[in-house]
Amino acid sequence: MMWSVITGWFPGWSVMFQGLILLIVPIVITLTVDWIRTFEGKVSKRGQKAKAALNKDGGATSLKGTKGAEGTKSNKTTFIAGKDDSGGSGNNDEQENPDQSYTGNVDKDLRLFKEISSDMADVNIRELRIGALQIKAVLLFVDGLTDKDSMDRNILRPLMNAVLPFEGMTEAPEAEELKRIIVERIIHVSEIEYTIDPVKSLKKVLFGSAVLMVDGMKELFVLGTPKGRTRGGEEPVSEALLRGSRIGFNETLSDNTAMLRRHGQNTELAMISFTVGKRVEKELVLTYIRDIANEALVEEIKRRLLTIDIDDVQESGFVEQLIEDDFLSPFQQIQNTERPDRVMAAMLEGRAAILLDGTPFALIMPVTFGMLLQSPEDYFDRWMAGSLLRTLRFFAALVSLFAPALYISFLSFHPGLIPTKLVISIISSRQGVPFPSLIEALIMEVSIEILREAGLRLPKPIGPAMGIVGGLIIGQAAVEAGIVSPILVIVVAVTAISSFAMPMYSAGITLRLLRFVAMFFAAVFGMYGVIMFFLLLSSHLIRLKSFGVPYLGLMVPSHLRDWKDFIIRLPLHLLKRRPALLKPKDPIRKG
Amino acid sequence: METRDRITTTELIIIVVNYVLAAGVFTLPRTTVERAGTPDVWISVILGGLLSMITGLIIARLSQRFPGQTIYQYSGKIIGRPLAILLGVVLIGYFVCIGSYEMRNVQEVTVFILLEGTPGWAIAGIFMWVALYLCRGGINAISRMCRLMIPITWTVFFGVSLLSLQVFDINNLRPVLGQGMSPVWRSIKPTALTFTSGEALLFLVAFMDKPKKTMKVVVSATLIAMVFYIVAVVLCIGAFSVDGVVTRTWPFIDLIRSFEVNYLVFERFESLWLTIWIMQIFCTFCIAFYGAALGLSQLTKIPLNHCLFALLPVIYIVTEIPRSLNGLFAFGAGIGNWSFFLFGVLPLPLLIIARLRGARS
Repeated sequence: MMWSVITGWFPGWSVMFQGLILLIVPIVITLTVDWIRTFEGKVSKRGQKAKAALNKDGGATSLKGTKGAEGTKSNKTTFIAGKDDSGGSGNNDEQENPDQSYTGNVDKDLRLFKEISSDMADVNIRELRIGALQIKAVLLFVDGLTDKDSMDRNILRPLMNAVLPFEGMTEAPEAEELKRIIVERIIHVSEIEYTIDPVKSLKKVLFGSAVLMVDGMKELFVLGTPKGRTRGGEEPVSEALLRGSRIGFNETLSDNTAMLRRHGQNTELAMISFTVGKRVEKELVLTYIRDIANEALVEEIKRRLLTIDIDDVQESGFVEQLIEDDFLSPFQQIQNTERPDRVMAAMLEGRAAILLDGTPFALIMPVTFGMLLQSPEDYFDRWMAGSLLRTLRFFAALVSLFAPALYISFLSFHPGLIPTKLVISIISSRQGVPFPSLIEALIMEVSIEILREAGLRLPKPIGPAMGIVGGLIIGQAAVEAGIVSPILVIVVAVTAISSFAMPMYSAGITLRLLRFVAMFFAAVFGMYGVIMFFLLLSSHLIRLKSFGVPYLGLMVPSHLRDWKDFIIRLPLHLLKRRPALLKPKDPIRKG
Repeated sequence: METRDRITTTELIIIVVNYVLAAGVFTLPRTTVERAGTPDVWISVILGGLLSMITGLIIARLSQRFPGQTIYQYSGKIIGRPLAILLGVVLIGYFVCIGSYEMRNVQEVTVFILLEGTPGWAIAGIFMWVALYLCRGGINAISRMCRLMIPITWTVFFGVSLLSLQVFDINNLRPVLGQGMSPVWRSIKPTALTFTSGEALLFLVAFMDKPKKTMKVVVSATLIAMVFYIVAVVLCIGAFSVDGVVTRTWPFIDLIRSFEVNYLVFERFESLWLTIWIMQIFCTFCIAFYGAALGLSQLTKIPLNHCLFALLPVIYIVTEIPRSLNGLFAFGAGIGNWSFFLFGVLPLPLLIIARLRGARS
C-alpha cells in the first residue's frame, strides 16, 4: 500500500536523469570558474610575498618611490633595459658584481659607470673642475632628455665659476663639507637627491636627470627631474563635453597631478607615490581626499597595488586589470577617464583615483553601476536638463542591450504582443528573407560592429565617408537584396546609436558584448530567455563588488536618499550627502 | 571594506512581500471563488490576511527570543535535539515543496503561453541555475534582487491592472454579503494559505539588524501583499463574474488576455505581464531555495554552497511529481494544509514551551 503510493509519485527515470544533468552542469561550470580563478590566487599570493619584502616601500609619501628599497632591490634589480635609443640591449655583465658601489675616487667611479653603461651611446659624460680649487668632477646626462640650456646655466656655470664659496681654502674640504657647499651655495637646482648605488645613478641618468660625480665624495648628486617630451592638456577625444572644462590629462604624471592640484586650493588632497613594474619602473600616484575617503578603502587599494607583479605596466589598463575584483566579469570595476574634473568629482564623493606616468587615462575606484551612465555635464547643467539626459542614457543603455533580443523574441515567439498592423507589415517585409530572425539580426549586428571597428582605424578624412557607404548603402542594398528586413535595419541602427550615448566608451563595449548573449538567449527561449538573461545579469551585478562596494549599490540602496542622484538628479540644494555606500569619513556635502 | 550580512527592517519587509507575492496571483481568484461561490471573497482575502498576520506575529515573537538564530538552530533549545531535527527536516521539505510548486507554475504557464513546445526541463533548468547563482551570493544578494524587482514588477502589475479596468463591471461584485458570512468563512482557508509569510521569518529574522522591529515587518508586509491579492481577486471577479472565474484555470492571466489596447506600444499584455511576473516568482523561488539550503546546512554542518547544489535535483524532481495541472493544484492545496499546520498551529505551542522553559539565546 505504502509502496504503491510512493511509486505512484515516482516521476520516472527520465526526470531523474534530467535532475542529474541539472546538478552536473552547474557543478562543472563552478569548478571550471574556480579553477580559472586559482590563477589569480596564485598571482596575488606571489604578490603578497613580494609585498612582505618591500613592505615599507609603497607607503612612503615621497614622490620618488624607490627610496628605502635599495637594500632589497639592488640585489633583485639585475637587469636594466636601456631607455630610448640604447636599443634595450640590456647588458648582462653588470649583474655579476651587483655589490659594487662608488668609492669616492672620480677616475675609478667613472670607469665603473662607463662599464655599466657600456652599450648606451646616448649617455654623455662631461668632465669639469669645480671652482677655484679645481676639484675633479664629472657630469653625466642623456642627450635629449636633459634640458641642456638650464643645465649649462644652473649647474655647469656655477660649478666652474665657484670662487667665493671656497675662499680661504687651499685644498678640497671634507666630503660632508664639500657636499654642503655645493648644495647650499653653488648649484641652482631645486631638486637634489643623493645616491651611492651605481645602478640607481645609471637609472636616474637614463630617465633624464643630470648626475654629478665629485672627487672625494662617495655620494653622487642627482640633479633635477627629467624634462621629457610632453603635450598640452588638450580636450579629451573619448569624453567630449559641450559644457565643462576643456582640459584633459596628458602623458606626464607631474602635469596630471598638477592639474588636480590646480582644480582648487585644498590641503587635504593626498597623493601617494608607488613604483610599479619590475623591469621598467614607472611611477604611479594614488590620490584621494584625506578627510573624505574611507580609510579601509585606501588601505585596500594600497594592498592591491603592492601585489602588482609584472615586468612593465604599459598603460593604466594594466593596473586596472591587475587590481580589479573579478576578472571574469564583463563589467569594468574600475573606471578610466581622461578628465580631471571627473576625477575630482569622484574623489569628492569619497572615491580614490590612480594616475600612472605615461598615460592620460586615470583610474577611478570603486565604481558603481550608475557612474557608467553619468557624465560631469549632468551636474553642470541645471537639474532638469541633467535629469532628462540621464534618463535618456538609461533608456539608451536598455535599448542598446535588449533591442535586437526583443526583435528576435517578438518575431520568433510572440508576434501577438505587438500591434497587429505592425506585425503584418513586419511579416510582409520579411517575406523574402531566407533566414530565421536570429541569423538575420546577427548578420546586421556583426556587420555594423565591424563597420564601427573599421571606422575607428580609418584615416580621419575617409572615416565619415566610409560610415555613409557602410551604413546607408549596405543597409539599403541588404534590404533590397532581401537578406534582411527594413525593420531590422531600423532596430540595428537605433541600437548602434544608443550604444554611443554611453558617456563611457568602455561601458559601451560591455553592452555590445552582452547584446550578443541576449540575442542568443532570445533565440532559444524568447521573452522567457530575455527575462532569464536579465535576471542572470542582475544576479551577476548584484554579486559583483568593486573594492568591497556593491556594484548595484546605488540602484538598490538601503536608503532611498541615495536615489536622489541616480537616474534623476535632483537640484544641488537637495544633494546634501555623499553616497552613503562609500562610507565617507565626512558624509555631509553641504549645509 | 567589510561585507554586511545584516538586513534592515525595510529590506526585510521587501523580502517578505516578495516571498508572499508569487504564483498565488494566478490562481487565488479561482481557488477562493470555488469554495465561496459568492463574489464576497475579497472580504475573505482581508480576513485571511489578518489571520496570517496573527500567525506571523506569533512566529515573530518566537524568533525575537533568539536573535541572530534561525529556527533550525534554536528549535533544539525548545523541544530538544531529536524533535528539532525532525522539525528541521519537515521545514526543509516544506521550502523545497514551495520552491517546486512555484517552479512548476512557471513551467506550466510558460509552456502554455510563452513557449509552446519547449521542454519543461529546459525551462526549469535555466531558471534554477540563475537562482543558484544568485543564492550563492547569500541573503544580501537575494535582498538586493528583491529591491531591484519591486519597481519593475509593481509598476507593471498596477499598470496592467489599471488597463484592465475597461473590462471591469462593478455589478459582478454585487450583492455584497448576499448569502451572509458563511461563504466568506469557507474561503478563508485558501487565502490564508496563499499568503502565509511567517515561515520565511523563521530564518530571515536571524539576519535582521534590529530584531525588535519584526512585528512591524509582519504587519507591513502582509498589508502590502494583501493589496495585490485584493486587486487580483476584485478585478477578476469584476471582469468575469463568479461563474466565469471558476471555469478559468488562471483567471488573472485570462483577465489580461481579455482586453486589447490600441493606444500604446503593445496591444496585448499577457506575455509582458507574465514575463515580468516570472521575475517576481523568481524572487519567491530564491527565498524558498535559500531557506531550504540554509536549513540543510545548519542541520548537517555542510557548507551552504554545497547544500544549494545538493537541493537542485531534489527540487527539480519534486517539481515534476505532479502529473498534470490538476495534480499541481492538488499539490498546492496539500502544501497549503501543511503550512496551515506548520505555521498556523505549531508556533504557538513552541512559543509557550519556550517561555515556560525560559529558553533564550
